[in-house]
Order: sequence, then C-alpha cells, then structure tokens
Amino acid sequence: MSAAAKNIATEPQAQPGPFDGWLRGTGDDIDAVAGGLSWLARERTDALARVRGQGAPTAKTEGWRYTGLRSLIEQDFRPVDEPLTAVVADDLEDVLVPGLDAHRIVLVNGRYAPELCVTDDLPKGVRVGGLRETLAQDPDALEDLLTRIAGEGSHVFASLNTAGMDDGLVMLLERGAVVERPIEVIHLSVGMDEPRVAQPRHLVRLGDGAQAELIERYVSLGESLYCTNSVLEIALGRDAILKHRRLQSESPNAFHITGLYLRQGENSRYHGVNIGLGGAWARTDLIMRFAGEHAECDLVGLYLAGDKQLIDYHMDVRHALPNCSSRETFKGIVHGKGKAVFDGLVYVAQDAQKTDAAMSNRNLILSDSAEVDTKPQLEIYADDVKCSHGTTVGQIEPEMLFYLRSRGISAPIARRMLCLGFAGEIIDALGNQALQDYVAEQVGQRLEQAPI
Amino acid sequence: MLSVKGLKANVGEKEILQGLDLEVGPGEVHAIMGPNGSGKSTFAHVLSGREGYEVTDGSVTFDGADLLELEPEERARIGLFLAFQYPVELPGVNNTYFLKAALNAIRKSRGEEELDAVSFMRLMKERLKILHLDDSLLKRPVNFGFSGGEKKRNEIFQMAMLEPKLAILDETDSGLDIDALRIVADGVNALRSPERSMLVVTHYQRLLDYIQPDYVHVLAKGRIIRSGGKELALELEEKGYGWIVGEEAA
Repeated sequence: MSAAAKNIATEPQAQPGPFDGWLRGTGDDIDAVAGGLSWLARERTDALARVRGQGAPTAKTEGWRYTGLRSLIEQDFRPVDEPLTAVVADDLEDVLVPGLDAHRIVLVNGRYAPELCVTDDLPKGVRVGGLRETLAQDPDALEDLLTRIAGEGSHVFASLNTAGMDDGLVMLLERGAVVERPIEVIHLSVGMDEPRVAQPRHLVRLGDGAQAELIERYVSLGESLYCTNSVLEIALGRDAILKHRRLQSESPNAFHITGLYLRQGENSRYHGVNIGLGGAWARTDLIMRFAGEHAECDLVGLYLAGDKQLIDYHMDVRHALPNCSSRETFKGIVHGKGKAVFDGLVYVAQDAQKTDAAMSNRNLILSDSAEVDTKPQLEIYADDVKCSHGTTVGQIEPEMLFYLRSRGISAPIARRMLCLGFAGEIIDALGNQALQDYVAEQVGQRLEQAPI
Repeated sequence: MLSVKGLKANVGEKEILQGLDLEVGPGEVHAIMGPNGSGKSTFAHVLSGREGYEVTDGSVTFDGADLLELEPEERARIGLFLAFQYPVELPGVNNTYFLKAALNAIRKSRGEEELDAVSFMRLMKERLKILHLDDSLLKRPVNFGFSGGEKKRNEIFQMAMLEPKLAILDETDSGLDIDALRIVADGVNALRSPERSMLVVTHYQRLLDYIQPDYVHVLAKGRIIRSGGKELALELEEKGYGWIVGEEAA
C-alpha cells in the first residue's frame, strides 16, 4: 500500500470533502429514507463514512489516472429534488427508438415515473416498480440483494450512491419467468436551473431459469447540464439468461457515472452490449462476479468520443470459480479532441481452472488530437485456462478512403461508411433490428457532423 | 473524350511520367502496354486522383473538364472509373450498401433522382445477369475475403453499375487464371459501347486476346514511345519489349 493510500485509510478528513454537496441533507434522514430498515441504514451510514474518509480520487489513484475529475467537481452539483410532474408522455416522443417494440419503463432524473411507463402486458412473475415504493411497501423483497451485490463498490462514487440513493428501478423476475418482448428502460434527464446530480439505485434480479432482454437508454431533453451517478445491481439465478443493452446518448453537457455490479449464478448467461456516445464526461464500471460454475459473461461495447468528450469504460471480471467463460469485445472511435479510456481487468484465481477468457479492444483514431488510453490486463493464477487479450489503435487506411472516393462517394460519407463498417459487428450484436438501425444512425450522424 | 498532353508526374523526388501524350475518343478501346516500372500504374493513378503523386507539368482534359483540378469523387461523378489492380477490402461495409451510395452520389451530382431500394435491386439483378455473376457477393462486405478472381469481377460489376464514360482497367488480368480472365474479359466486352471508352493497362498481350483494343500504345520510361493497332501487341508478344525500347534508346 502506498503512503498516500495509508493516509486516506487511516485519517478521516477534517476539511469539507469535494462531494459533500451531493449528499446535502442525506446525513440527517438516513433512517427515514431507509424506511426504518436497520440493515439498509447501516449500509448507508457506512457508505457515508467511506465518502468522508476517501475524498475524491486523484490522478495517482488506481483506475483514475486518465480520467480527470476536475470538471466534474467544479460543477458543485446538488441533489436533484425538484418535482418532475412537468414531464409528460409527449416529451418522450423525441427520444424514442422508431419501431422498437418493447415494454417501457421510464425514470426521470433518477426517479421512477409510473405515469410514463407502459408495462400492462408484462407477463406473470415479473415485478417492476420504483425503489422508493418497494422499500416502503415490501422491503423484504430487497433484502440480501440491495447493496449486497455491489458491496462497498469499486470507488467513491458507489459509496456516494449508497449514501445518497433516493429512488431507482426494481425489476424482479420470479423463477422461470420468461419475458419475450424486450423491456426498455428510459433514463430521462432534464436539466434544472442549477447543476443537479441524481443518484438512482437500480436492482434487477432474475430468478432461476428466468429470461429477459433489458434495453437501458440514458437520454436527455435538450442540451441539459446535469450529473447522473447510478449504480445498477444485477443478480442472475441458476440457468438465467439476461440480454442487456445499454445505450448512453446524452446531452453534450451531461456527466454520467454508472457502476454495474453483476452476480451470476451457475450456468447463467449474461450478454451485455454497451454503446457509449456521450456526454461530456462518462465513466462506466462493469464489475462481474461468478457465484456458480459454467456461467458465461459476454461484454460487447462501442464508444464514440468526439470534441470535448471523455468516455471511460472500466471492466473488472473476476473468475474465482472453475469452468466459467468471459468475453470482452470493445471497439472505440475517437475524433476531434475526444478522449477515451478502456481499462479491462480479468482476474483468474488459482482455483478457477478451465476458465475461458478473452479480451479485445480495438480503436480507430480519426484525428491527431484525439486520445485513447487502453489497458487490457490479465492476471492469471490458475494453470489450466484459455486466456487471451489484444488491443489495437489505428487510423482509417488512406487506401480504403480512396477506394470509396474513386466511386463517387464524398470523403465525409466515406469516412462514415468506414467507421460504421468498423463498428458494425458491435452494432449487430444488439440483435434487435430497430435498435441496430437507431444506433447506426446516431453513430453516423455524430461522425458526419463532427469535425474530424 | 480524354486528352493528355505532356504529362509529367513525380513520386517523391523521382520523375515517373516524363511527358506523356494520349488522345482517346468516344467508344475507343486503348491498350497501354509496357515493361515493369514504365509508369503504367502511375498513369492510371494520376488519372484517378490518388494521393502520393505530384503532377509537375502537362494537362489532362476529360470531357471538357480539367481533370487534375478535381477531387477523386468529382472525377468519378463526371464519368471516370478505375478498376483497381489490387481492389481494397472494406471489412464491415456491405457491398450492396456501398454500390447504392456510390450510384446515388453520382446520380445526385448529375441532378438525377436517387434510386429507391426496389429500382436499385432491379438494376443490380439486371447487371449481374449481363455479367453472368451470381448475387452471393452482394451480401458480403466489399471485397472482404474475396478470392482474386472475385475481386476483379466485383470491379467489373461496379463498372457495370456506375456506367462510366471512361473506364481504366489497371492490370485487371494480373493474378487471374485463364478461366477467371475469360469471365472478366467477357464482362468488359459486354460493357463496350459507342459512348464508353476504355483504357486497358496491361503487361501481357494475353488480355488483348479477349479484349480487342482499337489502339495499342507502348509506354517506356514515362512516355509513349510507339502507337499502333492491335497488331502491335502481337509484335510485342513475339519480340518482347526489348527491341522497341532499345530502338528508342538508339
């Protein structure tokens, strides 16, 4: 442990911390928000103590070397507490995916908005609601799940979320429940007059053998400035299958932090596709844990960072048990003065024999001032495993560009075609045609409008 | 149609084209032959606007336009087409989508309506039939994983779709076995018309057995040193390039 880390761990900070404002008022009514649940109150009190003790990560903190926090801290965010009745169904029209056939759940500024949801057709065995109402009405349903999957989390933002959680989505599938149509969750953010932070906490549990496809989309109304610091906890029972698509396409002024914590039961399958289009500043941590053997975890991703954008994906996949497999396949396109960070760690413990793990990160850089920091890491302590990793950073081949131009296609369109070609396998992995078309269009538009 | 006068071009410090003159009329097929390093491919590349060549002197007029002033895509839009010696693989770019984008970009620049999906498919089917090609290559990424023959066939298919006024075939025969060569040549012949000129750049006389040229030019040291009818190609085949290049030097 370094000297700096020791200090942080042993000496509580006397001065005000950089994130005190995020939790304004939280310390006073922790018990009230915890609904009188002693286990939750204790988790939140502990989290609050961690926040006060840890302070903000610095450039020397592991995992934050390339991801500066200054712009985030400078905003001096306050918790969002304005009422959200002003948002009506018509406001959603602009952010919908054309042709997407799905059950729809909507959260506005981190709060569950039942009046905007379309969930009448959900099959039996599926329960969907807000965290706040679930804590009030049926807190037992959350015990051993809420905060237990994430634990302390990987950094201060997880602790902030635990201390400050206010509402969020709860989705519980009973054993054997199968949802055939996708469930779309729209996380809509609306800017306020002052910079606001929402800290929603989401919980998804699939019972043994349950199956679902979850499409999460983070979107904004207009060019709002705000911050979302969300934590999503997912537990998959034995043989459960979750297809999870996460599309983050927010206002150019948005700050976004997500910590996704996954716990997979035996022989379960998780297939996640992450599409990161922005935002001003976005950090996503995917923390995957196996709780049973023969589970498969497949993480696919595409990020597109342009001028004044930072997109950061951190992955932490830990194989503690034998016979599981994990795949990380991420591609990035960075242009203008954009910056992207990819940090993937796959840890294979001594007992995790027959682990099958592969990680790949390929990047396309379109300008001299764009930056990619990529760091795939394998730590292997078992001796009978199949593991690989690879990373590339390249540019558009002039030959390819010339070939397209020689057929009458203008340079900007040719660049768009080549980038979409590069991103194609990731977009295809979304599986759903309406979603694929939507993402291809969004990526294409951003590339065409952006300065190269 | 195409008028090249005193064209000089460098690659880096080296002068490759050293004063090239050529006149191509509508509907004519010209073969450019020459030994390796004579400047054949450079000539094709300069005409199509590829980067990496510096034109130091001379002019190229195509259909009244100053060709050298135009971007590669503008050259394509006024009717120039280069069939590549080494067609480029474009992973992830669907062949049909690519062709539709190309055709519609060209149509749009001419003030014509863009083709909708149905008319485009119909046109593709029709052109495939003319060239005796099957449609499996349409669903694949452009040239990606194609065999050498498939790549060359795809070039000719693009030519059939884009209907250029001048097609430059840059060593289209290189790397093809005789069967593949015949298929490609049949395709080219099917596309001959009184409005379409062709510049067939080749090292071997063999291709000209299948694509009969109206004129044959011999390129050496960056200049055309001899022009004639198709019998010139036969003479070259028989005697090699040595005699003619030597004669020139003497």
